Amino acid sequence: MTEVDLSKKVADRYLKREVLGEGTYGVVYKAIDTKTGQTVAIKKIRLGKQKEGVNFTALREIKLLKELKDPNIIELIDAFPHKGNLHLVFEFMETDLETVIRNTNIFLSPADIKSYMQMTLKGLAFCHKKWVLHRSFSFCAWLIKPMNARIDLKCILLVLDRDMKPNNLLIGSNGQLKLADFGLARIFGSPDRRFTHQVFARWYRSPELLFGAKQYGAGVDVWAAGCIFAELLNRRPFLQGTSDIDQLGKIFAALGTATPSQWPDLAYLPDYVEYQYVAAPPLRSLFPTASDDALDLLSKMLTYDPKARITAQQALEHRYFSSAPLPTEPEKLPRPALKRSKASDFNPQKGPTVFSPPRKSRRVMPEREGFEGNAHRLDKIEEHAGEVKQADGDIAGRNEQVPMSIDFSIFASKPPSRPTINSADRSHLKRKLDLEFQHPE
Amino acid sequence: MAANFWTSSHYKQLLDQEEVDVVQPLDREKGITLEEFKLIKMQMASYISKLAQHVKVRQRVVATAVTYMRRFYTRKSMTEYDPHLVAPTCLYLASKAEESTVQARLLAFYIKKIYADEKYRYEVKDILEMEMKILEALNYYLVVFHPYRSLVQLLQDVGMNDMNMIPFAWGLANDTYKMDLILVHPPHLIALACIYIASVYREKDNTAWFEELRVDMNVVKNISMEILDFYENQRMITEDRINAAFSKLASKP
Repeated sequence: MTEVDLSKKVADRYLKREVLGEGTYGVVYKAIDTKTGQTVAIKKIRLGKQKEGVNFTALREIKLLKELKDPNIIELIDAFPHKGNLHLVFEFMETDLETVIRNTNIFLSPADIKSYMQMTLKGLAFCHKKWVLHRSFSFCAWLIKPMNARIDLKCILLVLDRDMKPNNLLIGSNGQLKLADFGLARIFGSPDRRFTHQVFARWYRSPELLFGAKQYGAGVDVWAAGCIFAELLNRRPFLQGTSDIDQLGKIFAALGTATPSQWPDLAYLPDYVEYQYVAAPPLRSLFPTASDDALDLLSKMLTYDPKARITAQQALEHRYFSSAPLPTEPEKLPRPALKRSKASDFNPQKGPTVFSPPRKSRRVMPEREGFEGNAHRLDKIEEHAGEVKQADGDIAGRNEQVPMSIDFSIFASKPPSRPTINSADRSHLKRKLDLEFQHPE
Repeated sequence: MAANFWTSSHYKQLLDQEEVDVVQPLDREKGITLEEFKLIKMQMASYISKLAQHVKVRQRVVATAVTYMRRFYTRKSMTEYDPHLVAPTCLYLASKAEESTVQARLLAFYIKKIYADEKYRYEVKDILEMEMKILEALNYYLVVFHPYRSLVQLLQDVGMNDMNMIPFAWGLANDTYKMDLILVHPPHLIALACIYIASVYREKDNTAWFEELRVDMNVVKNISMEILDFYENQRMITEDRINAAFSKLASKP
């Protein structure tokens, strides 16, 4: 009796709005919380076809999010069963970092990039601090006893957000960036546990994962954050490998081949293969616009040996975050203009207001193919990168009401209904096309 | 669980013994006493262990399942939610939460094997329905800490990590799940209580080591006393008392 009343009341609390997308294990829709007036995103979790109750991945997400409450981590507001399905209520997020990075109408100043990086690292540091504990540390914390040197220091126990990539970094209406999609995050239990390692989006995968390490630590998240940092600086994915082997090749081409002197454990990794030695080009040549502090931090986040790699907390204390320009306040960060209702007519599910699951349907973007050339061509593009960025700034300025004509998410999925292009955009687009097509090898 | 206990939902949800020892009104109407309430929970903890042996899951899955079951009955009545369904469903949910999923049909299979009695037989459908209700009653908090990890570390620290001592202390820790200790005390204190009992039992003087720890030894001693009382009372439990408790539960008001 009471059970029925309760579930009815809870379901009545939320006014259903449009569907935002289809995730791997259910539909996500927008809703209004009548109790608070807040806009929320509700993930409806379908019960599995194999009669296995609440989806395992969804359960993992619930388990973690119930424990992790932080301004830079997506909030699980509520959960309730309704008509036999489990519903998860999240705070509504306007857009995600990938959309911001790809939106060429948005100019990201060094201070903006710093702000996004700071929020990403804060979210990570929170996860790592709360969940990632050295065994010795947890021992001390529990008993408040002087640290005992005999306790094995090697074992790291942690939760990793194994799905760290720009489209899992959501951005709220107040500009706050939040880590989301913990479906793949996983708690590390005992020291000898082994995990499958093929879940990280490849471009953000750290070398130890690519070499098949079965035991890995918080460093994999820091590496991914480093790749995101690079992506914010250059406005395109930093290392776009087409396979794991190719990914390592791309990493070594950009940062120099890893050597046992830098990374003693290297040769002992399960999938280790020797790569031909390539010297690292100066990092400066890859990021011509970045400041010295930015490059210093980046190089520390992209250190090969996970043991020597900077931690999220140390990264936050890096002088990059305290030196000028200071990080932009989240509310003042540039964000994509909200879709007009007209836009949603032909593409209701793929606007910038998507919640994490629809990402899969949104991934393909034409410009990526163009940039994904071989390495020496990238260098040439690099020379023009600053110029393009400048152009972006000219067009969009710091104005939120930017034209939405070069929105590639729409462009990609529905080429025939291409929106009109004004002259400023046309010249910009032309320049972009020049970059892609007028550099024959 | 490798995480910070002090900031966890487990720590925030710890209850006082008086809050745990509440027989739900509907159960009270059937004449179920506090003793019988405890007895049924103990039986169900054993049932979970038995099922777990069949489906082969780790001890911490069992411990988590028992904790879910005990938390569940601090909020819901046994009259409305049959322990014989809640117990296996808690094991099912715990197996997922602890990342070693057991299929519901496998559980249903062993339920039938264990119980010849029709009324205790539940199907996959029942388990899946109950799963949702348990999740809701637990308010979706699924992370539970257990004494095992600290137990092993502490035994090592006190120098009692021999093949004689570890199984003994571990067995004590297992038996604490026949009580409500996990709902009331931080797991590392339960672990210390097990070591305390083991030290006394094996006549090893660890006073200095215990004093060095900055924990409230009174709490540790109280937990130890509770465990010893439990073993004492264990002898008085007869089949008749157990049957009486379950038949009261089955009675129609």
